[in-house]
Amino acid sequence: MPSSATPSELEQPNDAEKPSDSEQPGRGSPAVSVPGRRGGSVRAVPAGASSLSLLASELATLFRRRRTMAMLVALAAIPVLIAVAVRLSSAVPPGRGPAFLDRISQNGLFVAVTAMLVSVPLFLPLTIGVVAGDTIAGEASLGTLRYLLVAPAGRVRLLLVKYAGALAFCLAAPITVALAGAAIGASLFPIGPVTLLSGDVVQPPEAALRLLLIAAYLAVSLAGLSAIGLFLSTMTVVPVGAMAATVVVSVASQIADQLPQLEWLHPWLFTHFWFGFADVLRQPVLWDSFASNALLQAGYIAVFGALAYARFVTRDILS
Amino acid sequence: MTAPGSTAAGLTIETQGLTKRFGHQVAVDNVDLAVPHGAVFGFLGPNGSGKTTTIRMLLGLAAASAGTVSVLGQPMPQGLHEVLPRVGALVEGPAFYPFLSGTANLHRFDAASRHGPPATRKARVAAALERVGLSHAAGKRVHAYSLGMKQRLGIANALLSPRDLLVLDEPTNGLDPQGTREVRSLVRSLAADGATVFVSSHLLAEVEQICTHAAIMSAGKLVAQGPLAELRQAGDTRIRLLTPDAGTACEVLLRLGMTPGKGTHEPDGEVLTAVAAASSVAPPEDIVAGLVAAGVRVRGFSVERESLEDRFVALTGEGFDVAQ
Amino acid sequence: MNRAWTRWVPAAAVPAVIAAGVLAGSIPARAGDPLPDKSPAQILTLLGGHRTTGFSGTVEQVSDLGLPELPAVGPTSGPASAGGTASLLDVLTGAHTARIYVDGPARLRVQVLDRLAERDVIRRDQDVWFYNSKDNSAAHLTLPGFASDLPLPVPPDPAGLPAPDAPNPPAPDMRMPVPPTPADLAETFLAMAEDSTAVTVGPEVQVAGRPAYSLELAPRTDGTLLEKVAIAVDGQTGMPLRVTVRARGQAQPAFEAGFTSLSLDAPDDGLFTFVPPPGATVKELQVPPMPYRPGMPTLPGGPGMVMPDHMPGDVNELRHADKPGPSVTGTGWETVIGFPAPPDGQGAQLTDTILKDPFLSQAAVVVPGGRLLSTSLVNVLLTDDGRIFVGMVPADRLQAAAGAA
Repeated sequence: MPSSATPSELEQPNDAEKPSDSEQPGRGSPAVSVPGRRGGSVRAVPAGASSLSLLASELATLFRRRRTMAMLVALAAIPVLIAVAVRLSSAVPPGRGPAFLDRISQNGLFVAVTAMLVSVPLFLPLTIGVVAGDTIAGEASLGTLRYLLVAPAGRVRLLLVKYAGALAFCLAAPITVALAGAAIGASLFPIGPVTLLSGDVVQPPEAALRLLLIAAYLAVSLAGLSAIGLFLSTMTVVPVGAMAATVVVSVASQIADQLPQLEWLHPWLFTHFWFGFADVLRQPVLWDSFASNALLQAGYIAVFGALAYARFVTRDILS
Repeated sequence: MTAPGSTAAGLTIETQGLTKRFGHQVAVDNVDLAVPHGAVFGFLGPNGSGKTTTIRMLLGLAAASAGTVSVLGQPMPQGLHEVLPRVGALVEGPAFYPFLSGTANLHRFDAASRHGPPATRKARVAAALERVGLSHAAGKRVHAYSLGMKQRLGIANALLSPRDLLVLDEPTNGLDPQGTREVRSLVRSLAADGATVFVSSHLLAEVEQICTHAAIMSAGKLVAQGPLAELRQAGDTRIRLLTPDAGTACEVLLRLGMTPGKGTHEPDGEVLTAVAAASSVAPPEDIVAGLVAAGVRVRGFSVERESLEDRFVALTGEGFDVAQ
Repeated sequence: MNRAWTRWVPAAAVPAVIAAGVLAGSIPARAGDPLPDKSPAQILTLLGGHRTTGFSGTVEQVSDLGLPELPAVGPTSGPASAGGTASLLDVLTGAHTARIYVDGPARLRVQVLDRLAERDVIRRDQDVWFYNSKDNSAAHLTLPGFASDLPLPVPPDPAGLPAPDAPNPPAPDMRMPVPPTPADLAETFLAMAEDSTAVTVGPEVQVAGRPAYSLELAPRTDGTLLEKVAIAVDGQTGMPLRVTVRARGQAQPAFEAGFTSLSLDAPDDGLFTFVPPPGATVKELQVPPMPYRPGMPTLPGGPGMVMPDHMPGDVNELRHADKPGPSVTGTGWETVIGFPAPPDGQGAQLTDTILKDPFLSQAAVVVPGGRLLSTSLVNVLLTDDGRIFVGMVPADRLQAAAGAA
């Protein structure tokens, strides 16, 4: 170090005391001064309120993020694409293409159903993979994880809030598809009573309720995948890796679900009931698959939640 | 200081045998840190000497492979939830959400703490930004911040709540000279408020003027620690002698308890340097008298007290050597 | 961190708890006291006397006949859209679930729950509606008066039964592979309880959460593929709850149909009302001329056997009025039925036609003297000259019968 700098630097304290410089830190500024610590103990805000506050912050950070918005827009584009394609093409012969596609021209609400159906195998898992894979790894790669932890957020609390955020996205994603589908369907096609799979007919308000039920079913379906993504996200500081791994897991599970040789495994695959949402469209509603799905997803949440917990609380935060 | 559970020695940070291994590599090797209450503690060492890893263990971000850590009188990481709210930290450079504004970033970190009262959050964030001179850029996305602005925002984050201890890892990194001076005065004002400040740096001069205590790390080991004055005292004294009678001079210096080095030839004779511990060195006039009495022709003589910087370099190697 | 490993304890404990829960769940929970002991005859009486007329429940039917499976692919509506053989095959392989609502003898609704689709049969008195969501088509049938005398519950189409001996029926549009209710099958098998069969009572079982007697029928001979038929009879009402057919040398049941849930409350009457939805194609069906007993499976041997001329629809095509009827060799469980070849040397042609079906051509293997369609329960031999031999017997018995005829 150039020792010539020393004399001028020694005058620093005097400079610092001059209040004229607006950038000078004001000594003893009321809000930041230290009296509070003299009490010696730290008073915590009630746990529930503070966790809600952190959750609100997490949701705001997640949904104000351009990437999240872009994904929701992309999901909303699926029903738009389907509706426009059906509108522009000639009548779809029944039994061709994805189920329900042939119903769209008669009833716009089926755009929402078809779009949800189409987005189940890949698009929804893709967006969930991005969000869930980013939960911890994204913070780690930004370096913000260490500041959250020294705040201190508490590792378990942070993990729970992160998972809650991913769940919120699990709900937002299918609802986005459903709403966009209903909207574009209503604008391009007639809306009327909806024929259920059982051949019974329900009026549009109940049909809308069933659409939301489907969205809820899909949200539950994606909860297990989110837990897997959360766990994978604690394994790495490279968010893209966790995202890709999560998506790959969902695709692999769906492939395994198709193989008759693995039939014993099928009821244990978290994707097994993904298409069971059609049971909401029966009359009366068949809740069995909803219940089985919820139970299965709860099992995945428990297993991968425990793994994520174990990994995250023992991990050295070095990023 | 009245922090509960303070050790008798009044140490804000105390580590014993703190060790961190990554595989076979030892990043921090048996470090015994002792940071007294109210000190401005300079934690010095070249890049890669284990400073940041030590700080991570102090803050509970990383688990120690061996040894114990106590911060504000509480063992870490067990006491993490009680200790960390009283600690403001800047660890390994600032890190923020680039897509959020400076204010939003601070709001988020404050919300992460269970101890930042939401009612006063807005005021506290504004005050912290004001204190580091970032009020004008508070609404801008961090994406658009310069490195120096991010550094300031990082310091603001450490100041969101009243703190008993501030851990600032390389706080002047990326700051211009003006910013560096501001950080120094900020640290002084924090210390004046009674907080203990733990500042790490790889540049001695950055912290030399503000520290009351310092520790020097090298290759994962703590090589020196104590009050700054003591560290300065601990340096060697070096005499420089110009004489044609090198052989005799060596004998005399040896007799006086100094270790003469090998001379270098100059037109006027040979230049000898000799080193002695600061505590044991004889007064310069006695040395010269002894030399003259022995018939040494003294053509030039000077005494150099080793600066802290010299000592720092001596302990840690030259500045650009990154310790392994 | 010597304590770090304790953080992994939940990660190990959770799967263990789940595994324990699954194991505990697989052990049937004892609801109340065990059923009083009953002899086979008493159980038969209980079964015969059951007066359950209104119920709703979910029936699951699983077949494992050793036939190749068609994988269900993608978000399409499953294999049942593929046509004739496929819809038959649909029932013969894999698993199916149907919801059944019954209220009295004349009100019935069966919903076959397909993947993303549903096939419904709704009967209210004389009106029978069929609905297929896949192509949004409906069909209506008005039953003649006598039909209301039929004992219910009866699915109106036999294609849901294990009848691989009906080769390649060109199924009409409304062919409904409806899983049969336990009542049909129990009746059929009980009718065969004669000297050839050992009827015993097995350990008490739980079906749809209800304690039930297990009536077991085992052939007294080794010369049949059938090992055992078990009928679960509800201990309280005598209603048949499950039928399990086991084939020799196969761990999984060759066929099983049983309730997974059952409510004895009368279903909502609105369920039996059907109005074709807007946009549906509606067809009016004619009542078949013969009041055959639908749902009666074509099992050889026992007194309940349905002769081929009573078999529904398409099988009649194989029958030629000017030809002698089918031959029967063997008795009881070892019965082999032989269908003569069509006249004028069209036998080979018939065989060819049958084998044109992609599935049958894949499943049938060439054996000396013809082709064999082999399942774990029934074997079908198509001889090169067009004769067909069917029996629940090993293949060599069919070949012997073909050689002797």
